[in-house]
Amino acid sequence: MPPTPYSDPIRLEVFKHLFSAVAEEMGVVLRKTSYSPNIKERRDFSCAVFDERGLMVAQAAHIPVHLGSMPLSVEAAIQAYPRLLPGDVVLLNDPYLGGTHLPDITLVSPVYLPGEEHIPAAYIASRAHHADVGGSFPGSMGIATELYQEGIVIPPVRLIRQGQVDEDLFRLLLANVRTPQERAGDIWAQIAANRIGEQRMQSLVQRYGLADVHGYMRALLEYTERLTRRLLQELPDGSYTFCDFLDDDGVNDRPVRICARVTINGDEAIVDFSGSDAQVAGSLNAVYAITVSAVYYVFRCLIGLDAPNNAGCLAPIRVIAPEGSVVNARKPSPVSGGNVETSQRIVDVLLGALAQAAPGRVPAASQGTMNNITIGGWDERRGAPFTYYETIAGGIGASPVADGASGLHSHMTNTLNTPAEAMEYAYPLRVLRLELRQGSGGKGKYRGGEGIRRDIQVLTPARANLISERRKGQPYGLSGGGPGASGENYLIRGEQHIRLPGKGEVMLQAGDILSIRTPGGGGFGIPEDEMES
Amino acid sequence: MRMDSIAEAKTGMGSIAVNRLLVGIDVGGTFTDFVVYDAGVGVCDSFKLLSTPGDPSQSVLQGLEKIQSEHPGCEIWVVHGTTVATNALLERKGAPTALVTTAGFRDLLQIGRQNRPALYDLFVKPTSPLVERSLCFEAEERVDQHGEALLALDPVHAANLAERVAKSGAQSVAVCLLFSFVNPHHERLIAAELRKRGLSVSLSSEILPEFREYERASTTAVNAYVTPRLDVYLGRLDQAVKDKGTARNVRIMQSNGGTMRLERARRHGVQCILSGPAGGVVGAQFAAHLAAEARGDRDPLRLITFDMGGTSTDVALIDGEPRVTTESLVGGFPIRIPVIDIHTIGAGGGSIARADQGGALRVGPESAGADPGPACYGRARGKTFATVTDANLVLGRILAQEFLGGAMPLDVEKAKAAIAGVGKSLGMDTEQAALGIVEVVNAHMERALRIISVERGYDPAAFTLLSFGGAGGLHAVDLARQMGIQRVLAPPLASTLSALGMLAADVVRDASLTVMRPGDTPLEELSRLLEPLVDQATGELVEDGVAPEQIIHLPQADLRYKGQSYELTVPLSSALLEHFHQAHHRAYGYHRHDAEIEIVNLRLRAIAKTSKPRIRQSKATNQTIKSLAAATHLVRFTSGSASTPVFRWSDLAPGDELQGPALVVRPDTTLLLSDRDRAGIDVYGNVIVEVAPHQGRV
Repeated sequence: MPPTPYSDPIRLEVFKHLFSAVAEEMGVVLRKTSYSPNIKERRDFSCAVFDERGLMVAQAAHIPVHLGSMPLSVEAAIQAYPRLLPGDVVLLNDPYLGGTHLPDITLVSPVYLPGEEHIPAAYIASRAHHADVGGSFPGSMGIATELYQEGIVIPPVRLIRQGQVDEDLFRLLLANVRTPQERAGDIWAQIAANRIGEQRMQSLVQRYGLADVHGYMRALLEYTERLTRRLLQELPDGSYTFCDFLDDDGVNDRPVRICARVTINGDEAIVDFSGSDAQVAGSLNAVYAITVSAVYYVFRCLIGLDAPNNAGCLAPIRVIAPEGSVVNARKPSPVSGGNVETSQRIVDVLLGALAQAAPGRVPAASQGTMNNITIGGWDERRGAPFTYYETIAGGIGASPVADGASGLHSHMTNTLNTPAEAMEYAYPLRVLRLELRQGSGGKGKYRGGEGIRRDIQVLTPARANLISERRKGQPYGLSGGGPGASGENYLIRGEQHIRLPGKGEVMLQAGDILSIRTPGGGGFGIPEDEMES
Repeated sequence: MRMDSIAEAKTGMGSIAVNRLLVGIDVGGTFTDFVVYDAGVGVCDSFKLLSTPGDPSQSVLQGLEKIQSEHPGCEIWVVHGTTVATNALLERKGAPTALVTTAGFRDLLQIGRQNRPALYDLFVKPTSPLVERSLCFEAEERVDQHGEALLALDPVHAANLAERVAKSGAQSVAVCLLFSFVNPHHERLIAAELRKRGLSVSLSSEILPEFREYERASTTAVNAYVTPRLDVYLGRLDQAVKDKGTARNVRIMQSNGGTMRLERARRHGVQCILSGPAGGVVGAQFAAHLAAEARGDRDPLRLITFDMGGTSTDVALIDGEPRVTTESLVGGFPIRIPVIDIHTIGAGGGSIARADQGGALRVGPESAGADPGPACYGRARGKTFATVTDANLVLGRILAQEFLGGAMPLDVEKAKAAIAGVGKSLGMDTEQAALGIVEVVNAHMERALRIISVERGYDPAAFTLLSFGGAGGLHAVDLARQMGIQRVLAPPLASTLSALGMLAADVVRDASLTVMRPGDTPLEELSRLLEPLVDQATGELVEDGVAPEQIIHLPQADLRYKGQSYELTVPLSSALLEHFHQAHHRAYGYHRHDAEIEIVNLRLRAIAKTSKPRIRQSKATNQTIKSLAAATHLVRFTSGSASTPVFRWSDLAPGDELQGPALVVRPDTTLLLSDRDRAGIDVYGNVIVEVAPHQGRV
């Protein structure tokens, strides 16, 4: 059979590198020029390339939680502006219109060829977690009961029209955030990243021709789809169900149930979240984009380390997430923690289900939280407000072949920590401790990784917001392995050690210490000493 | 400065009675390369000996004895590139090392920046840090960002701590306390106690006095880990050359492209981690400089070096001088001292090609290595691997009988069978598969070349591509064409370029310090802050035998817009801020005149220029092209097969001109020219290819 025009295995491989190089380079520009610690030190951002229809063709290996949700941003931008012009840039953060949670600001640009003014040849997008987007809490990460308390909500709007920045819009945006200088710097960094992406895509098309570029965009989607179908074919047909819980939603003190039933049928799968709890009062709701991202992440891991990150991965998989549930919330449910916490539990549930289908390919549960801490207040030294946000790593679940790693971020995030010295230069904060929590990993033939203890002292009165999980529940072990230890949050005030809840706001006095101890990973297999007895 | 003057400074000799030979020695995994230079004659010899990995000094001493016997009565001065430090790190064979941190930060090296190396790997394996947990110690002390001691270090505690470290079994100790670059007092107290107990000590405030504790600790720990090994090796070598009188003076190549004296290298292992590759870049710079001079080109060098070997490829960019980075990662460990910015990818001649499950052709990163090597080596006992070298052989681009000068003929049939196997699983014939393998590996190479050029704000079209390394010549011209590069330079000394680079290298010291000052800080204040760095670097160069008046100081500063986390290095001058805006624009496509600027680090590079080796020029012969053609060979190009003239490099003379298609063969490498490429030979035997532009789209 003669090959179809765009099925040349050589060009396929070449274009795979070309598209991902564009996304990677955008990421370098964004990281090196941004201001928010979340972006520059912690790399909480993503850059991606889309075809002319808005399907994601390549995403740089940045943050998995953006995998499935970036395409929805582009879709929302195209729906709002079906005729984007050359030089336009659309900005958005509305979780219900292409966003994830409000701090994640996404910029979408059409890529036009020089001289072409009718149809974009492609799209590119960058998303970054900004340190503050207004709302009730410094850092915009706290337990709210309405989306509007979580910050300024921006539907898709054109920040730049044919190369001209809409200054009115920009000022309106900056007037609604606590650290406007920093926001402006970050948005400029994103604009620069998009420009680089635009230029690189233009020169790609000039070099290879539009037909080949589009042809291989499609071929790459099909390629990833083939990889996924192959994986599904390998897994035994059947339905696999697993449920797990979030500790609480930060408002009501009761666990929130998440269930997934994964049905594998030949080379296709259905992932059904029916049976998960209804949307909750506090900020733990996930929008549909987050749930899709979690599904995407799990299958992306299973198809192999170097497969392209594109929409083809999800093509043979149907996701059912009942509207109005905690995994597909309705506006204006608050969502800031859905992105960071609920997404992790969705992964735990999916892996739990798939462990039944593919026991050798799935590890025990990792810490299952990102341990979000936001600290805000008035910085006397600078005479200006400050907001600081970070997430803390923990234990990785043991695999069927080895112990879990200690003190690393897992699954839906991979953000770096902020160096103690960088933090102390920039904020009235001091890091007093960063160490592994010995013994927190689950027991087993292979042990779960250890969690972390991180103690941060405030040098000025401040407000802190915590969104952390697995403070009541524990990361599960597999095949007889024990669970990882729950996390613990403390306020240390002089000699007093005050236990803090997993989620909520704390008023801090100068000198107070927040001591966060993150969960360990689950163990795998029955421990050898127990085997004997 | 001339090397002679170092001798004068050291020995006080007014004149030099004996003839002096300079010898560049580069120890590689397979071969140890020697380049011998006599100031009166020029480069007079270069040769290779098999390396002796068990004790690398064996091959070095063998070579020196050979040179000594061939040049009786000469005084030998050596510049040496060593992989002892690199291998100690990569093979994890360093000294048992302890770490001392500020209390609360014992797990600093283990936790690192808390990110996992591969995003989509469900089975994240625990990494093993250089220092095991039982050898990590905490000092009860705390200094703030202004250098004030919030908790002073109790001398009794320091002594007890040192006692515990000494009893732990560690031989070497890295000390990294928070903000020690602002106030090194506590680190020094601990160091004194440790040294009293006979331990080798590396202080973060000396190795890298810059903020960001993990990266500083990592750099310091690497130094502590590799230095004792390097110290033993260099000590033994020093003793041996002194005992036998083979060499009078040994200098060591550093990762920053300069040299330092052996005694200093014995204490600064981390400076030698990229010793060999740095020599290669300096050698390339030197070769390109000669070529430019020969054609009367006085513009600053703009060069991209391309060193494609069997398992990996190194690329670097020279814009006047080699680009330097402070963000290198070796064996997974951040090393933040300035080193030549060499980007390495895991693709080379031995990279293995295969069809993957989704039906794409993949090449590398797995390599067939030297054993069993490519299928055409005929060494495989079981499974054979189809490699890039096999593809080139199938395409007629390598002459099977000429490989290593005929010492190891290649098996074309085995190569064909291996490539056919890959082709079969992709539904293509052997030739198509071979062309595809070359195209895919070129895509990897092009990505690497773009990272060091386009992504750093340089337009490759303005650069010359300098190809060295065994596999480079087959790919360099096509790659240049894809990148819009118009000229490729292939030097005749390619296989010993690194050893030559060591002879051309200047004496260099780098010093830095985090100062964290506002952008409007007066230049006088910055100069004052720089003074200790000037004193330190000058003092060290003088110790190394350099006369103070021969030292050139290049002060620089790392700046960023206040609030950013990545700095750009610009020359320290009255136009500091403007230079920063420009550098930012160049690197990232925009700048912000309205934004506040922060001066993060001051840097000082102190250089003592050495006199460069003179290379003999050959006389032009102006032979016609036809008479040169040794034979023709059928070569498969993307556009089709063509009968291609084959030239022996050694037959080429200055003034010769070649017209592609052509193969220029040498025992260690082959240069491939396509149709319409033209090449000339200069007085140094360099082949200079004028690359034909693309016709239409690829």
